[in-house]
Amino acid sequence: MFYTVIEQVVNGIVSGSVYAIVAVGMTMIFGVLRAINFAHGEYYMLGTFGAWFAIDYFDLPYPVAVVIGVVATAVIAVVVGNIVMQRIVGAPAEAGVLATLGVALILQNTTILVFGGSYKFFSGGYIEPVTLFGFTLAEQRILIIIVGLIVFVGLELMVTYSRIGKAMRAVSQNIECCAVVGIDVRHVALWTFILGAALAGLSGVLTAPVNVSVYGGMGELITFKTLPIIIMGGLGNVRGTFVAAMILGIAESLVATYVGLQFRDTVGFATLMLVLMWRPHGLFSAQARF
Amino acid sequence: MTTAESSAATGRDLRIPFGLALMALACLAPLFLGNYPLHAIIIALIFLLPAHGLNLLLGYTGLLSLAQAAFFGIGAYVSALLAVHFGTPFYLNFLAAGLVTGAVALPLGIPALRLRSTSFVMCTLGFVIIGQAIAKNWISLTRGDMGLAAIPKPYFALGPASFTVSGTVGFYYLVLVIAILATFAVYLIVRSPAGRNMVAIRENETLAESVGIPTWHYKLAVFMISAALAGLGGSLYAHYLTVVSPLTFQMYYSTTMLIIVLGGGAGTISGVIFGSLLFVGLTEALRVAPELRMIAYGFFLLGLVFWFPNGFAPLIGRFSSFLEKRK
Repeated sequence: MFYTVIEQVVNGIVSGSVYAIVAVGMTMIFGVLRAINFAHGEYYMLGTFGAWFAIDYFDLPYPVAVVIGVVATAVIAVVVGNIVMQRIVGAPAEAGVLATLGVALILQNTTILVFGGSYKFFSGGYIEPVTLFGFTLAEQRILIIIVGLIVFVGLELMVTYSRIGKAMRAVSQNIECCAVVGIDVRHVALWTFILGAALAGLSGVLTAPVNVSVYGGMGELITFKTLPIIIMGGLGNVRGTFVAAMILGIAESLVATYVGLQFRDTVGFATLMLVLMWRPHGLFSAQARF
Repeated sequence: MTTAESSAATGRDLRIPFGLALMALACLAPLFLGNYPLHAIIIALIFLLPAHGLNLLLGYTGLLSLAQAAFFGIGAYVSALLAVHFGTPFYLNFLAAGLVTGAVALPLGIPALRLRSTSFVMCTLGFVIIGQAIAKNWISLTRGDMGLAAIPKPYFALGPASFTVSGTVGFYYLVLVIAILATFAVYLIVRSPAGRNMVAIRENETLAESVGIPTWHYKLAVFMISAALAGLGGSLYAHYLTVVSPLTFQMYYSTTMLIIVLGGGAGTISGVIFGSLLFVGLTEALRVAPELRMIAYGFFLLGLVFWFPNGFAPLIGRFSSFLEKRK
């Protein structure tokens, strides 16, 4: 009994890490652009498709496929960022919602149009089980946890010490002042967006061996899971987002085991609503920043 | 916001003759349209109801809600369950759908409306996701993913006379009458002092509150009315397609309604009518290629945001004021 609980918690941490890598990009994009990126899950999907394409068509090894998936996502993010996201800076909230919904529709359906709507099999990755401290886990899951930690520490360092990281924080606090002191707001917005999208792509490539199936509509579910996380974590708050992602990951795997698998996908929004009743600005923000 | 209306007011008022001509055209439409275009118009008119609701909420009161699909779905299920299990006539199902969704919106609206901007949007999106999960998993009631099939066509029983609306043309007239009534009801709301107060809330909520408008009650009431309109639309949808499934709760429907309102021109009634005919009616033709249709929607959205932030309706306004100047 106790063993099962711990096992589910570990599983929860794995899916929490996946959500965290996706959500942290989305929350940073929100911080800088003030726009909820409804297309964020689509970059997750694009990363997976990039890697699947590399493995299926060119027989490349998994690590190369990871790089290809992330680079492909970043390239598309450069295009979308230049054409769409840069223009959202300073636009009203509805503009952001509509534009990113539009991008989501275009990316998702173009992928379906090009590759077909059927489920595809993802054959790469390290799925051998290993035993660690008495738990049996697939290697890939351990890799996901490690990458999740690296991304978290890396982002914290970048945001605290690097020039672009400081600029991101500054823009998320006050756009006008940044423009006054000479920070190129559109440049910062573009790079934040590309970084966030690439992280989503990375997350997609890492999860693909665990999920096995690849299909065009997979991004939507990820978007819907990430949205509650970033709201609960406090919009624009990197650390809060990580904690919220872990909470959601663990809660989901416990609900899936003890309540029923079919309720797993609603845990996020149900938790979000309860949290919002109690703390309207998210779990970790003292007050609303936006 | 209301370019079309203000320009019409300065010149000679073309709206009444134009509206009458449109209505006459709508009544005669089955004479010269085939079944397929008629079907497209029916779908557009069905979506007009939730879109009117969203317009009251977004265009007049300034609340961006994605919950319309949830209420659309609830309305469809209420209507379908009544018809399948109790065999009640159409008008009862239809009214019940509106009343139930309006009532459901009360307990949902009280917590949701306390939230601001982004959190409110997310909360309303959550209603759709959770609604779909309930429709999928409450199998004893909704039959889960199999959905409810064989919902009877609208059936009226008034005393000894009873008749069934079957066929595309019959349904077209039914939907047309309901759509005109709903449009008229929305027009009355918007023209009343209540409509002015809603606009005041949209423009500056704090100021509205300070001059004595009970903003909280207004927001709640508008949320309920918009939900009821969505429920009525859902009821028509269920009776027209004769099946409902958990897919009636779809984010995609909320997106469609958003496109109709913002694309037509939020805060104008004519804009919403125009929007639903354009975005639902015309794109219904692309149904054979659903991916292309979605991609077209995506580009519509982007074009809207960047080139027509007030929707496409002001274009018509410009056109009609151009006509008036020539006189």
